[in-house]
Amino acid sequence: MSITEALSEGLQTAVVGLGTVFAVLIILMIVLYVMKAIFYKEEQKKAPAAIQQEPENEINESVTEDNGIDEGELIAVLTAAVAASLNTSTYNLEIKSYRRIGNGRPAWNRAGVRETIDNRF
Amino acid sequence: MSNTGFAQMLRQIGTAFEQGNILQVVGTPLMLAVACLLLYLAIVKKFEPLLLLPIAFGMLLTNLPMELGQRLMHPQLFIDPQYLIDGHDLDMQMIASQGGLLDILYLGVKLGIYPPLIFLGIGYMTDFGPLIANPKSLLLGAAAQFGVFAAFFMALILGAMGLGFTVRDAAAIGIIGGADGPTAIFVTKTLAPALLPAIAIAAYSYMALIPVIQPPIMKLMTTKKTRSVVMKQLRPVSRTEKILFPIIVTIVVGLIVPDAVSLLGCLMLGNLAKESGVIERLGKTMQGELMNIVTIFLGVTVGATATAEQFLTPQTLGIIALGLIAFAFSTFGGLLLGNIMYAVTGGKVNPLIGSAGVSAVPMAARVSQQVGQKENPSNFLLMHAMGPNVAGVIGSAVAAGVFLAMFK
Repeated sequence: MSITEALSEGLQTAVVGLGTVFAVLIILMIVLYVMKAIFYKEEQKKAPAAIQQEPENEINESVTEDNGIDEGELIAVLTAAVAASLNTSTYNLEIKSYRRIGNGRPAWNRAGVRETIDNRF
Repeated sequence: MSNTGFAQMLRQIGTAFEQGNILQVVGTPLMLAVACLLLYLAIVKKFEPLLLLPIAFGMLLTNLPMELGQRLMHPQLFIDPQYLIDGHDLDMQMIASQGGLLDILYLGVKLGIYPPLIFLGIGYMTDFGPLIANPKSLLLGAAAQFGVFAAFFMALILGAMGLGFTVRDAAAIGIIGGADGPTAIFVTKTLAPALLPAIAIAAYSYMALIPVIQPPIMKLMTTKKTRSVVMKQLRPVSRTEKILFPIIVTIVVGLIVPDAVSLLGCLMLGNLAKESGVIERLGKTMQGELMNIVTIFLGVTVGATATAEQFLTPQTLGIIALGLIAFAFSTFGGLLLGNIMYAVTGGKVNPLIGSAGVSAVPMAARVSQQVGQKENPSNFLLMHAMGPNVAGVIGSAVAAGVFLAMFK
């Protein structure tokens, strides 16, 4: 086979081959979107109800100032944590405001997940 | 005395020396050294030891100097036209009567039995949930097959320039870029059986080296900003969807690329065994004992095809180089589409998950996770990367089917 032949044969196969791979996977993608449209709606309706039954979840997921959860308890926990890490007494501290940074996962949760990922594979 | 291996080796070296065949003179000792090097990589460096160790030991066994009749493996029975009926069909009678232990076990590779059986177990262990939750992942899995065709193209050109690769050889070499061992073996045993040891060893070694190969390309193709994108949490996937998915994939792929079905069908059967939850007992065997048994047979026999005559050729060097190119281009293809998706979605997709489209599960996804976490320690890309990762398995099986359909 000469180089020109190899070039044209190679290009042809590459285009047809990669084209087929994309075609098959795009069809599968469309099927998955159809499946999502059929099955996912019910899940969405169920989801809020499920969360209300598990209040602990709510604390982890989204603590905002107006969601009706007892703020006093949270501030007590935050004060204690800050006091412990600064090696001081809670009486020397006053929490004026707090806000969540990062993606909302607690640090120990992140460390745990990272450890699992590193060990598992 | 004249029956010992040492006497054999000296005799072989003597004959080869008289014929002036230098490669043959150093062949046996060199192959034993290569086998020991691979054993070292498997045991000490832990490079995919589950496969590399049996492969290396098979290589050791097959290169022990012995009389033709005593040998455990005779690769020529499967490759040399002289031993084949009409130059292309296996002479089963001869294999049964003259074959050694490994010849008999190798039939499972040659007849295409082992790779699909391994896919049964892989299917059982794979969770397609992240893919179902984010169907766009499929595009990344397709884009990461770019390396398959890039390497195919380059192998053809190298072949035309005198390295002696035929179209079928080039296809088998290209499939290394799928980063999927069983798929590579399945294609190679049909299209280019003589290249099987080199291709299998290249594929498994580069899979083990993914954490070294991918990160530099990933850094090159992304910016600090795109690497630190945090993606939206995946939606929950219902059991119904997880059960329907393997069934639908089998039907769709079967209708378009029938040659991919022996691999994908088994993958999906294994997956259905898990998701349906009704045949737990069978599933346990698929992902446990059956897969382990087949892995042993596959590894040892593939290694055993690597005799000095088969392995010590300029083609092997070409394959090792092209394999690396295939991996690099697959990573490139995935990242390229990842970047396009980042732009199209207005920054909602982290392009790093694109490189996970090469199928090595879960290694490639883990690399995405680690590179992403370096930029933003609170970012967890693993589940997002698993989508393209399992899509890559489907993609490379389809690419394999395309090659088989074209060149079988």
